[in-house]
Parts: sequence; C-alpha cells; structure tokens
Amino acid sequence: MMFAVAIIAVLIALTLAVVRALAGPSAFDRLLAANNIGTSAIMLLALFGFMTERPEFLDIGITYVLLNMIGTLAVLKFFRYGALGHAQDLDMDQDQS
Amino acid sequence: MEPAIDLLSWAALMGGGFFYVVGAIGLNRMPDIFTRLHAVSVSETLGVGLLTLGMLLQAGFTLVAVKLVMIMVVLMWTGAVATHALARAALHDGEKPLLADKGGALMPTDPVSLFPELGVRLAAPLKSEIVEGDSPGPADAGSAESEALAEVGYGADEAEANPDAERPDSAGPDSTGKDDR
Repeated sequence: MMFAVAIIAVLIALTLAVVRALAGPSAFDRLLAANNIGTSAIMLLALFGFMTERPEFLDIGITYVLLNMIGTLAVLKFFRYGALGHAQDLDMDQDQS
Repeated sequence: MEPAIDLLSWAALMGGGFFYVVGAIGLNRMPDIFTRLHAVSVSETLGVGLLTLGMLLQAGFTLVAVKLVMIMVVLMWTGAVATHALARAALHDGEKPLLADKGGALMPTDPVSLFPELGVRLAAPLKSEIVEGDSPGPADAGSAESEALAEVGYGADEAEANPDAERPDSAGPDSTGKDDR
C-alpha cells in the first residue's frame, strides 16, 4: 500500500517532467527533463519491485542508473563539441584567442 | 513486520514522494534553466534519498538493501555531476541566467560580464558569446566586475555614475518570473 502511494507520486512527477521535456525552450531543458525522467524510471522500478515483492527489479534499476548518467554526459559532450569521439574535434584551445 | 518500522517506512516514502513531486513542479514553474536545475536537484537528492530509505526499512539486512544503497549512492553522485555538466554546458552555449535588476524585474544577464573570470574558466568560449569589446582578462577584472555589478543594481551609486552602461540584449522579463519577488 505504501509503495502504491509512492508510485503514484513518482508517476505525477514523471508526467510533469514529460511536460517540461515537450515544452522546454532550449535543448538543456529537455535534457534536464530527460534526466529526471530516467531517475523517475529507476525509482518506479525499485518501488514496483517492492510492491510486488520481487526486488529483483533492483538489478534493472542499477543498470538504468549507469545508463542515465552516461546518456546525459554523452549528449552534453555532443552539444559542446559536435562530436563524441575524435581527438582532433576535441581540441579545446582552438577557439581561445 | 514491526509496526514501528512500518510507520517509519510510511513517513519516509510519503516524504520522498512529496519532495519528488515538489521537484517536478519546480521543473515546470521555474523561469530559466539554472533555476530549473536547482529545483530538480531537490527531487534527485532528498526525494530519491527518502524513497530509498523507506524501501531500505522494508528490506532489512539483505542483499536487496545493498543494491538499494548502491542505487542511492550512484544516483546522488551522478545527479550532482550531471547537474554541474548541464549548467556548464548551458553557460557555454550562451544561456543567460535571469538576475534581478534594481526594480526587482528578472532580466537575462550575461554571466561573463558579471564574473569576468568565468570567460576564462569556460574552457573554449565561443567568440560570439562573449560581450563584444570587453572580454575582460584577469588584468582589468576589478573594474569590469564593479561595472557589471552596477549594471544589475547591486551597487546603486555606481549605477547612477554611469547610467549609459547598457545591458546585454534583454528580451524583457519572462512571463513566468512575475511571482518570484
């Protein structure tokens, strides 16, 4: 029962984050909302696992935590450099006058 | 399960859900990206922490508790890192934080004019994002800083001293910023 109430709260927060992700004026707003949606999904997984008394869902949650972090940082890096890998594109001194 | 543990778990889960929803409301209500980051960090620290604490009390000393602690620690750690990276990327991209001027209206203010060392710290500043003509180096940091402070109205007498200090392009206060002050 207590987990059901917490799940409802997290679902409300998830809906609000989706609203921001759709409405956000800049890409950073959308990315922030996407990060929050990922966190909400992790909490939903954990709470749902506890509610149905199958806490094995936590393993999926751990995977999601790591993926969420990597995803946000990768997209940010892409915004900044326009590329994800190549060393010649990551030359930070080229713009400094 | 003992009733005391259940009661504590209820309290932690309800508190966590409350702060989670508060963070999401702030994500929608706040006027610009930096204040939204501030709002979301509520749900990513206090919300996640309390929800995990509530589940921990139900789990007891098991392997499930270890996994929960792992999720909580990693979420708190990476939430801070992601928030910092987002703010830095937004600054680098030229997002101007809303700062209050003398009348209390929120104006998009160029942070590089306010904190001159920021232009140096942002590792690869795009040339178009620095205010034209005064990309202040460390040499004239003091004067540029006081001028920038006068621009946003922190030093009132200095603002009258040079009334022609123009603000960087201001698109007017955001409509959602009216209830902040």
